[in-house]
Amino acid sequence: MRYYETLYIINPDLPEDGYREVVTKFTSLVEKYKGVVTKVDEWGIKTLAYEVKKFNRGSYVLLQYCGEPGITAELKREMSLDDRLLKYQTIKLKDNADPEALKAEVDDGKVEVEGVAEAAEETSAENEGENGI
Amino acid sequence: MAYNRTYNRSENDNKDRENRGRFKRTYHRRKVCKFCADSSLSIDYKDIKIIRYFTTERGKITPSRISGNCAKHQRMLAVAINRARNIALLPFTTSIVK
Repeated sequence: MRYYETLYIINPDLPEDGYREVVTKFTSLVEKYKGVVTKVDEWGIKTLAYEVKKFNRGSYVLLQYCGEPGITAELKREMSLDDRLLKYQTIKLKDNADPEALKAEVDDGKVEVEGVAEAAEETSAENEGENGI
Repeated sequence: MAYNRTYNRSENDNKDRENRGRFKRTYHRRKVCKFCADSSLSIDYKDIKIIRYFTTERGKITPSRISGNCAKHQRMLAVAINRARNIALLPFTTSIVK
């Protein structure tokens, strides 16, 4: 299974129950395609850095989940059809992920991305190399 | 190694000779990659506070020769900035100040 993360922006003018409906729609959609949701983080309404579909504000929702590679294509298709969304972006966090282990990590409040962990290890070697002259 | 050291010393001497007579010798502070120095600092496109530090006022990516980042972290940073731009967390450009 792969570990993905989708950040999407919902229309800020939606009423509370309409907003809730969108969030539950996409979390249940992940489960429908045999994915495991590890985290749903609602950031609330934030100002956008630039205008999107004539909106200057939007409510951000972060969705982290595990699933087979096809799951992102399905999610992307559904998201492109839903006009309540302003924007969405999916990123792969890990290739071989174990959903249960990730769930536990998220509960601890600590999720480490592979690339970042690697970078930290190599730093000491690089610093030594630059100390010439 | 020993050869290099002597060579460098003579080079520095030459520079001193050139700069004699001017008011001040140019001073270069060694720049250290912020992400190498502090391993707790991670590059994440969602963490705008850290990323924004490495962009100019107009939203451009600061060159590594100015920020002092190592090549590896500069690459990772560039990816993070582009992701943040794509999801409207950071601007592509700012033309008029609101």
